Amino acid sequence: MVSTKELVNIELEVKAIEKGNLACPGCQLNLSFKHALSALKGDAIVVVPACCTSVIQGAGQGYGMHVPIFNTAFASAPPVASGIARKLKRDGKKTTVVVWAGDGGTADIGFGSMSGAAERDENILYVMYDNQGYQNTGNQKSGATPRGAKTSTTPHGKKSRRKDIARMMMAQEVSYVATANASYPQDLFAKIERAATEFAGHFRFIQIYSPCPPGWNIDTKDSVLVGELANNTGYWPLYEAVNGKLEFSRPSRRFNDPAKRKPLADYLKIQGRFRNIDPEIVKQMEEDIEHEWSILRKFM
Amino acid sequence: MKSSRYQEEILMLDFSKVEIWTGNQAIAEAAILSRPEVIAAYPITPSTPIIEALSSAVENGRLDAEFIAVESEHAAMSGVMGGSAAGARTFTATASQGLLYMMEMIYWAGYGRLPIVIGLVNRSLAPGWSIWVDHQDAYSMRDAGWLQIFAKNNQEAHDLTVQAFKVAENHGVYLPMAVNIDGFVLSHVAGQVQPLTQKFVDDFLPSFNPIFKLDSSDPVSFGALTLPDDYQMLRKDLEDSFQRAKKVITDVSKEFAELTGRDWGDLIEVYGPESADIAVVAMGTLAEEAEEAVDELNKRGKNVGVVRIRSFRPFPTERIREVAKNYDKILIIDRGQSFGSATPLTLEFKNALYGTDIPIVTRVMGTGGKDVDYSEIMAVIEEVYKEEM
Repeated sequence: MVSTKELVNIELEVKAIEKGNLACPGCQLNLSFKHALSALKGDAIVVVPACCTSVIQGAGQGYGMHVPIFNTAFASAPPVASGIARKLKRDGKKTTVVVWAGDGGTADIGFGSMSGAAERDENILYVMYDNQGYQNTGNQKSGATPRGAKTSTTPHGKKSRRKDIARMMMAQEVSYVATANASYPQDLFAKIERAATEFAGHFRFIQIYSPCPPGWNIDTKDSVLVGELANNTGYWPLYEAVNGKLEFSRPSRRFNDPAKRKPLADYLKIQGRFRNIDPEIVKQMEEDIEHEWSILRKFM
Repeated sequence: MKSSRYQEEILMLDFSKVEIWTGNQAIAEAAILSRPEVIAAYPITPSTPIIEALSSAVENGRLDAEFIAVESEHAAMSGVMGGSAAGARTFTATASQGLLYMMEMIYWAGYGRLPIVIGLVNRSLAPGWSIWVDHQDAYSMRDAGWLQIFAKNNQEAHDLTVQAFKVAENHGVYLPMAVNIDGFVLSHVAGQVQPLTQKFVDDFLPSFNPIFKLDSSDPVSFGALTLPDDYQMLRKDLEDSFQRAKKVITDVSKEFAELTGRDWGDLIEVYGPESADIAVVAMGTLAEEAEEAVDELNKRGKNVGVVRIRSFRPFPTERIREVAKNYDKILIIDRGQSFGSATPLTLEFKNALYGTDIPIVTRVMGTGGKDVDYSEIMAVIEEVYKEEM
């Protein structure tokens, strides 16, 4: 695994994102983008459907990304990427074609087209950065919004469970499926690198947990901490599933044992989106954690 | 058809060779000869046979291209957009509801300046379900930044498809283009087509030379956040390109006519006497049917002509003003409507002829596939003769 120092050096060299981009302070998707594109050494073409990343690139001539980007409409990113990947194949180019999409663009409006690209096993690395709601439009509920979270369209907290896209991609027998967390950059870096090299030629899916300070109502300084607690409470298990065989990733591995997990309350109390929610929902959220692990264990 | 031995030799065109092709085959064969590199497609009646033919051509090695069998029309347009942005010549085909479903991306391709060519097999819109021809689908994409051209028969559809790539990819134009044929009336009815040859198309149509493309060694961004001043400038640039396209379409048609002897007109095709009492205006097969009608009426001592609109976008405003003065009345036969206002072709004519006093009469005919034969057009012309203006 890449060391912190190496990671920093690569990021300085690739400079996927310039200073002065339009991301909010504490934005974890922006960091995820930097880590991911650094892992690809900048040799990527990125397709971005409507999402926060459409905006944070910068406006007009104040453009701040050092990779070619095709901005496109919500549901169209996977087929656009398919078209690009097919042309690169004809030209004999090894450049990685990345779909860089939010959770709304993936779990909701873009799900059909992603599923289509997965079925065709297009040569695409699909990255779903998961800030658990429509944050670009001001925190509305998406299919990936977790139970309990208050959004502007679930003002009393969402009652139902989140749609688990990584597991749905496993159900579609995608050759490489992984979860990542912006608070664990080395793990994220390794997963992007592995997906891009070992599984090149196939459809690959990585879901990155990316805290959003304004949407989640968390302090800017806490956005890395929230990610760490998501891991340590067992709330966000990190894993890789290769051809359906699952392995928990190092930062998460020991939380397979429920006794080692931190209390969920630690995770909830520093996020405004979970403030004053119904204790009954909190109880269900606690049960959701073990429910998730118990399903994932079946694929080990 | 005119031809010369000299042309036959240099173009390798065998003018004695005639195929019996449906409109769909005529488009598919021309698309294959145009060597698209990326095709993304989804089936819909009546355009399905076009994509089936392309898929077979790719499978059997006749066409060296990527065929992406996508999960929706939205994805079909998105797929060819990706291919085009990466520097590939691209083609797809659709109709009716399929066009509506891909409409978000139709706009994206037009405003995004991706010179895609689509075979649009015109079919009415539901409900009620109707698989038959009208032009309501084509009118729905009027303002999407696409060149829209209409063929009157299978031969023209064949010839236009090759010309469409040349026009769309022209650096002064650089816009996507829809080649329209009437559903079933052309798409599924076989007729005589003199096929173009690979040698001819390779000489006539240069390979795609993208102005900009996605390349990791030279990063560019497509469609990033655009501030109001830039946005307005980009849209003005789009309009300027449409104006330039008028000449390019005309020049390409002329060049093609000189090489093959097949002259389909410029932005319009004028048929019949130079000056007449009435000009019948129509698009697609209705215009060809109108030719029959005016021939018959002129034999009986009437004096009637046809103005066929080939290019609906850009609309041939200047050409209409030029030719309209040769007619006392204009009869528009429109295969679509704009509810609550005049029909789309009527609006165009009233705009083009603003400030003149040429009377315009409109009849909506042939929507939802309602059959229109030349005798019905004759009857309408007779009515218009009697109407006081």
